[in-house]
Amino acid sequence: MSRQVRVRKLNKSTSQQVYREDEIDSAEYKTLLNQLHVSVDSGVEKSEEKEYHLQAALAANSAADKDAPKEIPAPPAEQTAAIDYDAVYTLVFEKPATYIRFSQTVEETRGCQYDMTTEDDAFLKAYNQKRPTGSKCSEDDFEKIMEVYEETADVQAPFASVDGTVIPYDVMRSALRQQVDEKIQDFAKDIYDHWRTSRQKSGNHPLQPTLKFEKNQEKDDGDPYVCFRRRDIRQTRKTRQRDMQSTDKLKRLRKELEDGRLLIAMALQRELTKREVLKVDRNIFEQRAKVKEAKVRLGIKTDDEDLINQREQPQKRKMPDSVMLQRPPGAQLRIPGRSDGRPLDADLILLQDLLEQKENMLQSEIEEKAAQHRKWNQGHVDLTREPLSPIDGQGVEMGFRPATAQYQYLMTPPSSVTSESFDQASPTQEKPEPFAFRYSSPPEEDRSQGQPAYRRRIGRNGRLWIDRRGMSSVAKSPEESGSDRWKYDQDDDDEQPVYELDPYDTKALRFRATIPFPPHLHPQRNAQVARLPGGSPVNNRTIAGPQQLRPPT
Amino acid sequence: MAGGSQPHDVAVGSPAPKQMGRATVDTLKTGCIAMVEKDGKPRRAEILSVRDVKSGRQFYCNFDNFNKRLDEWVPVARIDFSQDVEWPSPEKPKETKKASAPVAKKTVTQKKGQKRPARTREASIASEGSTPHPWTEFVESQKATPDPEEEKLTLAMDLDASPGADDDDAMDVDDVVIDAVSTKAEPPEQFSREEEIEKLRVGGSMTQNQAEISRIRNISKVQFGKYDLFPWYFSPYPEVFTQEDLMYICEFCLSYYGDLKSFTRHRQKCTLQHPPGNEIYRDDYVSFFEIDGRRQRTWCRNLCLLSKMFLDHKTLYYDVDPFLFYVMTSRDEKGFHLVGYFSKEKESADGYNVACILTLPQFQRKGYGRLLIQFSYELSKIECKLGSPEKPLSDLGLLSYRQYWTENLVEILLKLNADEAGKDRTSIDMLSQELSMTTLDVEQTLQALQMQVYHKGEHKIVIPTYLIKKHEALVEKQKTKPKRTIDPAKIQWKPPVFTASTRTWGW
Repeated sequence: MSRQVRVRKLNKSTSQQVYREDEIDSAEYKTLLNQLHVSVDSGVEKSEEKEYHLQAALAANSAADKDAPKEIPAPPAEQTAAIDYDAVYTLVFEKPATYIRFSQTVEETRGCQYDMTTEDDAFLKAYNQKRPTGSKCSEDDFEKIMEVYEETADVQAPFASVDGTVIPYDVMRSALRQQVDEKIQDFAKDIYDHWRTSRQKSGNHPLQPTLKFEKNQEKDDGDPYVCFRRRDIRQTRKTRQRDMQSTDKLKRLRKELEDGRLLIAMALQRELTKREVLKVDRNIFEQRAKVKEAKVRLGIKTDDEDLINQREQPQKRKMPDSVMLQRPPGAQLRIPGRSDGRPLDADLILLQDLLEQKENMLQSEIEEKAAQHRKWNQGHVDLTREPLSPIDGQGVEMGFRPATAQYQYLMTPPSSVTSESFDQASPTQEKPEPFAFRYSSPPEEDRSQGQPAYRRRIGRNGRLWIDRRGMSSVAKSPEESGSDRWKYDQDDDDEQPVYELDPYDTKALRFRATIPFPPHLHPQRNAQVARLPGGSPVNNRTIAGPQQLRPPT
Repeated sequence: MAGGSQPHDVAVGSPAPKQMGRATVDTLKTGCIAMVEKDGKPRRAEILSVRDVKSGRQFYCNFDNFNKRLDEWVPVARIDFSQDVEWPSPEKPKETKKASAPVAKKTVTQKKGQKRPARTREASIASEGSTPHPWTEFVESQKATPDPEEEKLTLAMDLDASPGADDDDAMDVDDVVIDAVSTKAEPPEQFSREEEIEKLRVGGSMTQNQAEISRIRNISKVQFGKYDLFPWYFSPYPEVFTQEDLMYICEFCLSYYGDLKSFTRHRQKCTLQHPPGNEIYRDDYVSFFEIDGRRQRTWCRNLCLLSKMFLDHKTLYYDVDPFLFYVMTSRDEKGFHLVGYFSKEKESADGYNVACILTLPQFQRKGYGRLLIQFSYELSKIECKLGSPEKPLSDLGLLSYRQYWTENLVEILLKLNADEAGKDRTSIDMLSQELSMTTLDVEQTLQALQMQVYHKGEHKIVIPTYLIKKHEALVEKQKTKPKRTIDPAKIQWKPPVFTASTRTWGW
């Protein structure tokens, strides 16, 4: 029966089946239990583990034995007879609605630290009998004085019990003066005598029983009354790294202090300057008042320009100032995270930067708007009679290709270039210029007069347009020569003056040949230019107008 | 225990034969082992101290195999002088001088009969000097010539197959051997004590063997709140209180007074009406307060002094700074009255969730201990940790924990058993997670209850019928009178965090 079974080790995570005792064969269960004979570490000291009552109680619990004593006998507590509980514990407690939070210590809640004893009571009663009514010493006053005596003795002669020092009354008196009301100091001398005799009776120990704390480690170790020793402080290991850390910390602290000082000095300077400004302003104001007075007196009537400040210029200069003022003043005094030691003014906002930033923002906004606009217009075909051309072509200088030297003077683009590649922005395209608004002012002629450039675009009905720019020499000269074209025009007259001229004269023919295409011969184009005066910042002209019309390829 | 010790049996195996002989009232001295009447029956007892009072001479007796809390002052009438008395061996004090010499002036610790150097456990070795039941040979002798009662007891234990019984026999045999080489046992003892002190110095343990603590109860009676308490063990209150018949302790601030006038004066001034900390739990029955030993040093010291009177293994060697105290109170119109508490290390290296745990005697056997234990596990649950009480446990501690563990395990296991799907789906890990108990505690509880069996190559858990019946009875009882439990939803608590600097400078 007692066949030795090799038991596999039970792993903590092993899945186990749970049975009730009545679900298994009881005989088998018994044998299994017999096999299993593990000693259990109860956690109780071995020497106490076999105590009679404990074993009896354990036995009672681990079996259904109802008769066995289940409890360990212990000296019982009794209802007290020594005191009248309600008389001693008088305070009534109001249960707060919320959980209590409390941090006062026992010392703070127990009032006067000295509690008078029966002997004190006897002394005080006898003492008070001798005193006239009206000047009797109350128990509270007595305790107050005793507290001062004990405290002073404890501070001034901590080893009184060893060296027998008794603090003289003079010392006590000065301590009393600081801590106790004037009126109860009458009792001081008499109570001092009582205190001294009490102390001497108890071997000059403190009058109230105290716990024994460690004094001499060798001797104390075995004394069961010595308790609550201090634990040794865990020493932190001193390493080079720790040293470095503290040095760095000190350096940083110093730097921050210096920075703070500098900041304050500068703030002071600023305030002084402000005061100067105010003074000057006031001076100006007063002088002006005088000027005004003088003017009135002398009857001078000018435009009074000199009496008011010219606001234009200061306005602009004011801006950075107001920006500075908007920053919270507190933020300047303490510079958190300023551990990298960068100079202070790295944080200052410069007007220049600010303006630049503004400009950039504006620019990007405009570009965005333009891009949006283009997007709206994408694939849009305007079938009205005189449609507006989209803003300045399809984008910022889009499609213009610089004319390279070899065909700089060619009047037509090389035919080998396909339309697709044309429409792509060329890699050599110049840097997009920032948008500039033009109102009624004429287009700046020579804005983009650098390299000659051209582009091709497809207009309505598949008309092909070649735009060019930078073609100064050829195109410009006739215009210059015709600049006085309207010299003899007279707007006032309804009738045009007629000049007699032979149209077939050679001179006249040659002259006519030099005239480019006058606007009135070119009505559509003309209308566009007239309607979109600010439409194009670039010099945007058609080369040959209708002549260039070709069917789209 | 009518059948006294037979000289021959006692001498067996002992290197230094005990001197046996008759004693008189005047010759009976500390260290002697005599037959003393306890609860109407004679029982072997060691004399730990002698005093003369008005009514005559009294002897402080520690009874064999009874816990120290049953030690008492015995008048001459209860001592059986008709029987031989075992005299202390003259060599013994020399052998143990190192451990007990400093306490010599206390007249107590120094001359107990020989202790058993149970080298199986470090703690036992250290506590050797004052093991309460020094007469190991006695057990042997009892077995050799069993007296009626002792036999009955032994028999009962065997019947129950109580786990420790066989071990104890083995131990005793070993002890004899160890006794023979007791001189060699000295060095390790010394070492282990230093080691323990060192551990206490830098660590945060709150239990210590009682080697250095006086074995005689020093406070006879304590007035506390509405009750008079009779202390069980020594507590290092100021030595002058030893002379007092009655010591007064303020129920709220736990300050101690030997003088009634002082105590009443204090009560007129004391304004405390609840433990001086934050309330972290409240239901209609109890409240819990959390108190930092560092912040409330005086109060926590007072609490420790008070609880030391009822906890044998508690040490007050070091200060209370590294501990948090969780204090359970009951409410009435006077305030929040201390019922029990447990202390807990702010940072336990060994994963303990309780250092010391106590229900005051006037509240014992009312189910408060279970609430304390449950609360300690609820806190562990919030911390997402597994916890275990610090060892050694006291006898009462073991019983309380065993009961708590058993009830909870049985409840879970029955639930699993009832559920077809979960029937074979549990493990020690799962149980441990469920209850926030360490796996070791789960394992040992299962073993102690004989629930863990090995059958057909598989480990299985069997719930014994008597436990099922007990559980059913409990459920039945709860229908009429619901069991008090902690409601985790009412705990307002976050695990306190202590910075490195607090720990460095804190203790």
